[in-house]
Amino acid sequence: MAADAKVKNHVQDIYVDENAVRRDMLLRRIGKIGLYFNPIFAYFFLWSPILVLVIFSFNRSRSVSTFTGFTLRWYNNIFNGVMGTEVGFSTQNMLLALRNSMIVSFSATIIATIIGTMIAMSLSRSNFPGKRILDAVLFLPVVIPEITQGISLAIFFNVLFGWWQSLTGQRIFPGFHTIIIAHVAFNISYVAIVVRARMANMNPRFEEAARDLGANEWQTFRYVTFPLILPGVVAGGLLAFTLSLDDFVVTFFNSGVGTTTLPVFVYGLLKLSITPEINAISTILMVISTVLIGISMLLQGRTALR
Amino acid sequence: MAYDIRLKNVVKVFSSGKHKGVVAVDNVSLDIEDGEFFALLGPSGCGKTTTLRMIAGFEQPTEGSILIRDEPMEHVPPFHRPVNTVFQDYALFPHMTVLQNIMFGLKMEGLSGDAAKQRAYEALELVRLPEVANRRPSQMSGGQQQRVALARALVKRPAVLLLDEPLGALDLKLRKQMQYELKSMQQQVGITFIYVTHDQEEAMTMADRIAVMSEGRVLQVGSPRDIYEQPQSRFVADFIGETNFISGTLESHDNGVGHVRLAQDTVVDVQMPKNFSLSSGAVTIPIRPERIGLLPNGNDSPFHNMEDITILTGHLLDSQYIGTDTRYTVKIPGDNEIVVRIQNVDYLETVDFEIGQEVQVFWSLKSTHVLDH
Repeated sequence: MAADAKVKNHVQDIYVDENAVRRDMLLRRIGKIGLYFNPIFAYFFLWSPILVLVIFSFNRSRSVSTFTGFTLRWYNNIFNGVMGTEVGFSTQNMLLALRNSMIVSFSATIIATIIGTMIAMSLSRSNFPGKRILDAVLFLPVVIPEITQGISLAIFFNVLFGWWQSLTGQRIFPGFHTIIIAHVAFNISYVAIVVRARMANMNPRFEEAARDLGANEWQTFRYVTFPLILPGVVAGGLLAFTLSLDDFVVTFFNSGVGTTTLPVFVYGLLKLSITPEINAISTILMVISTVLIGISMLLQGRTALR
Repeated sequence: MAYDIRLKNVVKVFSSGKHKGVVAVDNVSLDIEDGEFFALLGPSGCGKTTTLRMIAGFEQPTEGSILIRDEPMEHVPPFHRPVNTVFQDYALFPHMTVLQNIMFGLKMEGLSGDAAKQRAYEALELVRLPEVANRRPSQMSGGQQQRVALARALVKRPAVLLLDEPLGALDLKLRKQMQYELKSMQQQVGITFIYVTHDQEEAMTMADRIAVMSEGRVLQVGSPRDIYEQPQSRFVADFIGETNFISGTLESHDNGVGHVRLAQDTVVDVQMPKNFSLSSGAVTIPIRPERIGLLPNGNDSPFHNMEDITILTGHLLDSQYIGTDTRYTVKIPGDNEIVVRIQNVDYLETVDFEIGQEVQVFWSLKSTHVLDH
């Protein structure tokens, strides 16, 4: 009987503090609402300046403070050589800058994609001395400030060309070649990182199976490895193209006469004044970049490789 | 008999990666005959897969040599070896259809067009999957992928087919069915199969001969019956099926029969293997639970007067009903506990044993065997 009583007492010991429970419930509810607003706040912070730019590129008024109505006039202007009352703008110059941008981006993308893919292959499929160091250094261009990269490349070219001049007496001036090399230099990392992620996700048995079935090293690459990493290669290439197209800092420090790219051109316009036409150009650039990055991300996430 | 594959004193020490310095395969010599279904059996990490990968050419032996049809395979890359592999996870190319997968090996040989297509369809016919030719690997079940992997390897008409735990990912029922199919397929095509597995039942069911491996070494090679009935080491006896180990002292032997003392007043006879290393001393008698009979003590069993029957008295310690049979744990002289398995049948009189009661256990000399440790 005594034992029974003890058990009963024990049960009564369980005491529920209803106030504490209510307090916890309230905290949870606040937390939930907070989590809901978190991304909204973050996205607003990220996108509101861009949203303002896009909206004002359609603003009827020249003012950048009040929205008075919708118009496509600024888009029309930039393709018709008109830019308010400012001098120095012509559609022809803009298209020339666009052409320069395309030359730089295409060349840099192709070279960087090939080299980056090769680095990714060797990093994930072979062992060599210094592999770990290369692996670590690969991330450097992603993390070091762009200004540092731009200046260091400019100094590097200056030293290199000075040395060349003392050897041969010929002076090399910066131009497309320096911009392209500079863009390749930072794009390699991005391509290599994306492709390597793809390679790491790929079952090495696929390549073994190919060799087992009679494919030599080249055939294995041609028919199995490359088709399987292709989405990664294309994604890396698109990323590189976008970064190259948008780049201002590195290009600015390494460009020569007649190699003005679109971002550098826009910067030149901006020095005169902020006009709705700049908003329009920027909006177009942003749309292109967003589309390319979107495709790149879709490709990176595609098809299982296990 | 022609040997398809010969391994001579093969050693593999990994030189890089996370297994650096590990001796994966330690002085393995095997002769695998033409047309044989040969199983490499052992627990994970015993070196069986590494051995297979060395035959395929994915790994190079550190020492020793591998011969395929009397050709030394040193420095011969996988794509020049007359062997094909069925991988554990099938490794079907995800960007190709089933037909393209199967024709891949033919394309690498330079065979294409209708001839290649015909052979691919023949291979699909062989694995009884002719209707999936245009599907992608991801659209098929595990069992179907398994068959396609088999067809992809067999279409090359290799001298030897290497199979690395090919049924490991399938569920039990399908695995049983595939065991049967693999065996009949092997007999049909007449190709030597080397089959890696950790599943002793799978090896027993399919293989003509089994090599039991442990810690990089081959402990015993023989037919399933040899391996089961005459295990030459404690590991093999323990790994294949269930075994009782009765310890005692070998006192003398004559005419291939040894006399082992279990306790002061108990001596049992055992079959002695030829060339047994000891003539006296501590030994272990491995005996299978299903080879032991059980009767209540005091019964005049019908076996009493038979020759070559060993009868011991003991106490019943425990009994477990497990459906097909009942497992009894019996304490016998010499502080040995043994498990006895009696099949649960209705056509014989069943005896209800009580725990703690005195019982008789008996076995035939033919079921016995002796190990030197």
